[in-house]
Amino acid sequence: MKRPPRPQARTSEASPTLSRRTFLKGAGGVAASGVLAREALANAEPSGPPRADAEVLEGPVEVEFALNGVATKVTVEPRTTLLNALRVHLETPHTGAKEVCDRGTCGACTVLLDDEPIYACMTLAVRAHGRSVRTVEGLASGDELTAVQREMVASDGMMCGFCTPGFVMSMTACLEKNPDATEQELREACRGNLCRCGTYPHVFEAGMRVARGGAR
Amino acid sequence: MSTTRRDEELSWGPREAHTVLHHDTPRRSGPDKVRGAALYSHDRRLPGLCYGVLVHARAGVGPVEVDLAPALALPGVLTGLQLREEVSFLGQAVAAVAAETPEQAADAARAVVVALDESGGWSLTPEAALAAGAAQVTRRGNVSGPDEDGDAEAVAKALERADFVVEAEYRVPVQHHMCLEPHGVVCDYRGGDTATVYASTQVAFGIPGSAAEALGLDASKVRCIVHHMGGGFGSKFSMDTPGRAACLLAKALGRPVHVFNDRAQEFLSAGNRSGSIQRVRAGATKDGKLSAYAVEIDRLGGVGRGAGNPAPYAYRAGATHVATRSIRTHTDSSRAMRAPGHPQGSYVTESVVDELCYGLGLDLLEFRKQNLPEGTWHRQLERVAREIGWYEHPHRTAPGRGDGWTAEGIGFGVSMWGGGGHDGAECAVRIAKDGSVTSSMGVQDLGTGVRTLVAMIAAEELGLRAQDVEPRIGDTDLPPGVGSGGSVTTGSISPAVKVAAHEARLAFAAHVAPVLGCPAERVTFAGGKVFDAQTPDRGLTWRDACATLPGEGLSGYGKWRADLQGSGVHGAQAARVRVDLMTGHVQVLKMVCCQDSGLVLNPLTWRSQVNGAMIQGLGQALLEERVLDQDLGIALNAQLQDYKIPGCLEIPELVALIDEGDTREVPIGVGEPPVIPGPGAIANAVHNACGVRVRSLPITPDKLLDGLAALRAGGATR
Ligand code: FES
Ligand code: FES
Repeated sequence: MKRPPRPQARTSEASPTLSRRTFLKGAGGVAASGVLAREALANAEPSGPPRADAEVLEGPVEVEFALNGVATKVTVEPRTTLLNALRVHLETPHTGAKEVCDRGTCGACTVLLDDEPIYACMTLAVRAHGRSVRTVEGLASGDELTAVQREMVASDGMMCGFCTPGFVMSMTACLEKNPDATEQELREACRGNLCRCGTYPHVFEAGMRVARGGAR
Repeated sequence: MSTTRRDEELSWGPREAHTVLHHDTPRRSGPDKVRGAALYSHDRRLPGLCYGVLVHARAGVGPVEVDLAPALALPGVLTGLQLREEVSFLGQAVAAVAAETPEQAADAARAVVVALDESGGWSLTPEAALAAGAAQVTRRGNVSGPDEDGDAEAVAKALERADFVVEAEYRVPVQHHMCLEPHGVVCDYRGGDTATVYASTQVAFGIPGSAAEALGLDASKVRCIVHHMGGGFGSKFSMDTPGRAACLLAKALGRPVHVFNDRAQEFLSAGNRSGSIQRVRAGATKDGKLSAYAVEIDRLGGVGRGAGNPAPYAYRAGATHVATRSIRTHTDSSRAMRAPGHPQGSYVTESVVDELCYGLGLDLLEFRKQNLPEGTWHRQLERVAREIGWYEHPHRTAPGRGDGWTAEGIGFGVSMWGGGGHDGAECAVRIAKDGSVTSSMGVQDLGTGVRTLVAMIAAEELGLRAQDVEPRIGDTDLPPGVGSGGSVTTGSISPAVKVAAHEARLAFAAHVAPVLGCPAERVTFAGGKVFDAQTPDRGLTWRDACATLPGEGLSGYGKWRADLQGSGVHGAQAARVRVDLMTGHVQVLKMVCCQDSGLVLNPLTWRSQVNGAMIQGLGQALLEERVLDQDLGIALNAQLQDYKIPGCLEIPELVALIDEGDTREVPIGVGEPPVIPGPGAIANAVHNACGVRVRSLPITPDKLLDGLAALRAGGATR
């Protein structure tokens, strides 16, 4: 199941969580001003205790994270989503994760934040600071596909393919944790992913081939 | 001329003889798609790219005034433009703004002041459009038609003599395409007299003309690229408002611009499947004959006409009468959506058929066979009936009674479609001296596997493996393709690729014959070898044979030929559902489709399409419906969190069967037909399970619980 990562920073108002929604409300207006705890940048501890003395952030901020194992810096506004940071703002844009709904309903934007699948459209880029981000581009080594990727191709787990990166990431996360996943567990793991072309049975087949084959 | 003679001999041959075609072949785009390396138009990033966002009024219709100034004052905002002065349907875009980043562009879009004159009111629903004093959608009013067809008098007589008559109103709501990749383009224009447009489109070759018009360029100077596209289903036949906006903004800025609908705009202004209201009177006789079928159809196509709904679909009735009118509303026009009009027609007809059977105590399967033409459908229905467990099923002539906790039921439906191709597609197959082969045609691949076919067909002809041929598609600089709609792509492109590869093969044979020391007619290409048919264990490897070619290699060019494709397909589906009688929840347990489509070129991608179509049918049956609020003038579910499509937990066991009884040795398209019978089959399975006939889609728990309550109270099976 997907859930947002634990907040690592809070506003000075100490709102209990800083979802994109509450952030946008708090930011008011339309201008590009931003409110966010600079602490997010200083505190690389993913689940560090919230601090009441957090500062308010504005303007461009530099975020550093390990992108597919490579130390990466990107300058974004505090309100920029991780999805837009990846797709638009990186020096080398990573467009594997897709923007479909931008509201946490389709899973096409799924990436792994510290190995947990998350909706990158519902996660602020600053939340990734000091953490590891894995995207679909980072799975294969060169032309060598992972087992999930190979079986997705073999089972034809895609048609238009726009949902495919999201399914690959959800399935990868599931099978890394639970190599012997059942089909029901795979379905549960991918329930946050939608496919309009209707590739589901082929996706499940691919996942089960990996789970049964034990090859990863 | 000798080529003519040779062409006349060209055929696909028996399916058992193929080594590449008719074999499961993983799609060529697969590795790129699973690595995130497949670049969709939405993914294009270019030097100097800026981002445009469309602005639409959130409610109502009417004349608009747009003030861009507040937006233009914001940081990063580059320019903006007003697109129209009148909102003629709910959610129609009125302006576009461009900025350096998507965030800034979104800010700008929010800052644009849109003043809508709502005084004219609006008609969002058919009821509102028909009410006295309704806001007028067109100058000629809100209703066009009715157009009538058939014999009303004969129907009246037949109904009098019928042993059982069904009189009921059915409703099919508007369904959305919900392509994952939104409509839009990246227009790469940097001044000068050329441009490249990356479009999410079903018709690459249709884009340059309209883009050129918006850019003020020559159409021949505009190139369209669609290497990958994220779904169309009939909704992407033009570059649409985002495309036009992108071109206009790029023209104004001399910079590449990215404009795509956001998700709400997709729901409001990117097309839909028209809804329909159908008032049916149908009769049957005790001996199992559908004797009369009369229907008044209201097409609900927004500002458009809506699709026609065939009635009584594939069935023969003693007498028929169909009266169709279009009711216009202030909503986005419907567009082609996978088998336009057919699911609406099929759902209602199949439902009425079951109601008649139950009224007369007749077997659902036998009644169908009796009233469908002999042959294909009979065979297919029997096939799916076996696979779904019909012959062991307890409720074959009467539905379950709705007692107990859960109930299972089975339902059927059939489909019909054309699927033939048409003129226009051309292909170039090139064999290089190093042994590499390219098969090129500018056609787009919507996810159906066209790219793979372009390689497979050439590989088969040249005795190679599919992976030995590099397909090049999705680019108007390549030989022309056709638009992908109505399942025409396979029938249109396959002959051209076949002919091109055949020409290349003939030229290669002529060239290599002296090397092999045999006449060209005996040169054989098979298993990656080139040899004299009389000495198959000698000869050259493909690579060595190619090494004898001149430096420029050789090539063949092909155009469409009618005799290398077919048309006319049929299908049957069966669905098994489980109804939770306490909650009204319907779980589809299994769906089976038996479908003919001539020579199935790639069974793997064929199954994907058929399974996917059944899933879309499931969505239409149980989940999907556009909901509007006439009073507030807004859409209530124009976001993906509110408009449900099938997800992982709704997917039944799916069985896609190639109809082995179809012996036509020509390819035919299969995109549309398997999407047709699902809603009818599922609705029938629900009725079969628990005795409740839900006469409006989607079949939601509330409707089912109402029906069960009525059933228990001794009411009619509503
Ligand atoms: S784009 Fe993030 S969930 Fe849909
Ligand atoms: S493959 Fe097209 S949306 Fe999943």
